[in-house]
Amino acid sequence: MRREAWLALLILAPFAVGGCAYALPAAAVAYKGATKAAEASRPINDSEEYYVGRAVAARILGQYKLDQNAKLTQYVNEVGDTVARKSTRPNPFRGYHFAVLDTEEINAFACPGGTIFVTRGLIKTCKNEDQLAAVLAHEVGHVANKDGINSISQARWTQVFTAMGTEAARQYGGVAGNLVSLFEGSIDDVFKTIVVNGYSRQAEEAADAAAVTELTRAGYDPNAMVVLLTAMEAKGKGKTSGIFKTHPPTSERLAKVKAEVGPSPESKGEAIRTKRFKKMVS
Amino acid sequence: MRPESRAMKLVRHVLVLGVALVLLLPALGWGEVLKVAQPNQSLYPDPDFASAPIAPVPVGAEVNVERQAGDWYKVDYQGKSGWINRQAFPAPAGATQPGLSGLLFGTPVKQTSSDEVALAGKGFTPEVESGYRSKHPEMNFAQVDKVESFKVDPATLQAFIKEGDLKP
Repeated sequence: MRREAWLALLILAPFAVGGCAYALPAAAVAYKGATKAAEASRPINDSEEYYVGRAVAARILGQYKLDQNAKLTQYVNEVGDTVARKSTRPNPFRGYHFAVLDTEEINAFACPGGTIFVTRGLIKTCKNEDQLAAVLAHEVGHVANKDGINSISQARWTQVFTAMGTEAARQYGGVAGNLVSLFEGSIDDVFKTIVVNGYSRQAEEAADAAAVTELTRAGYDPNAMVVLLTAMEAKGKGKTSGIFKTHPPTSERLAKVKAEVGPSPESKGEAIRTKRFKKMVS
Repeated sequence: MRPESRAMKLVRHVLVLGVALVLLLPALGWGEVLKVAQPNQSLYPDPDFASAPIAPVPVGAEVNVERQAGDWYKVDYQGKSGWINRQAFPAPAGATQPGLSGLLFGTPVKQTSSDEVALAGKGFTPEVESGYRSKHPEMNFAQVDKVESFKVDPATLQAFIKEGDLKP
């Protein structure tokens, strides 16, 4: 028998199999086409999350004015970036951006994709940089855990795919209109969650846990979170709006955070951090 | 007809093997180099954004693609092996210029535009945002653009971290 021919076949066989496994571009396109229907259940990707986040931010900025203090904004971005780079999601699609809202209201919002707002009122409630870092780390936790984007209803997201896959609608120009309406609905879903109703208790506790990890990894004192939550709990008694509704500082939440934080690290930098915080906030 | 000599047979099979390897290697994706086109990208140990990044990959960095799985590319970057999401790159590999595999097996089948949208996984795009903005002129996207311009350069951030005795 032709031994050389068999030898050639044996040598080539793994490459032929490998060629299938590693996906020939043309074959990949065909395969993806065949499974398009199955993609209806895929999660929202990072780029889509980013566009939803932009629109949510635009809506928030329709209600609140942006603080014009450039030095304070720079400082908040420095603190925010310091904790965000230690999160489980340090590089969202277009990065993190932190901004101050010019209001005495005590609140903070994490838009999907990485834009985070903190009010001047909440900054003033913080006593030092570590507490401000705790606020920002908690909001970064919501972005990393995708809590905002996950508040888009599954039914609405399925409709997005129906709209994209409807050839007839596309031909008659219906898809663009449908998608804009569905986009609008998605913004409503997220806005209601992050500004009006708040996240679930589980999402809040997960963001707290993420914040404790970020603070510890960044070198901030994680106990700053306990101190801040304790102050917020006292401040929020009887209040059911704003941050006290969206991020309720309950005793259960406080107890969980207390159990998660380790001892405060020895840091000669704490005095410097507090000094620069007070300089910015005064 | 004269029977083919053993040496001639061997030469013929070696030639067949060589041609087949040349034809099939591009299909494996070996040696394919992609350039990172988006900022804030990282190399991940797993095809999952939730995994802790191995290293940042700056814009313009070239990575060697080993294989693709869904939205992720297994790559080698400066001797480090890991995963990069396809968002890092301008277009899917092989989408613009047909390689040897394209010449052999044909370029990718041209899909309808709605198929392309679905295949690219883009439901909410800049076009959809544009439609939304036309419908809601009261939305303050100019301010959003301003917020997105807030950035801390790496050297300033490192100085800030050092001054506060924080962890780099």
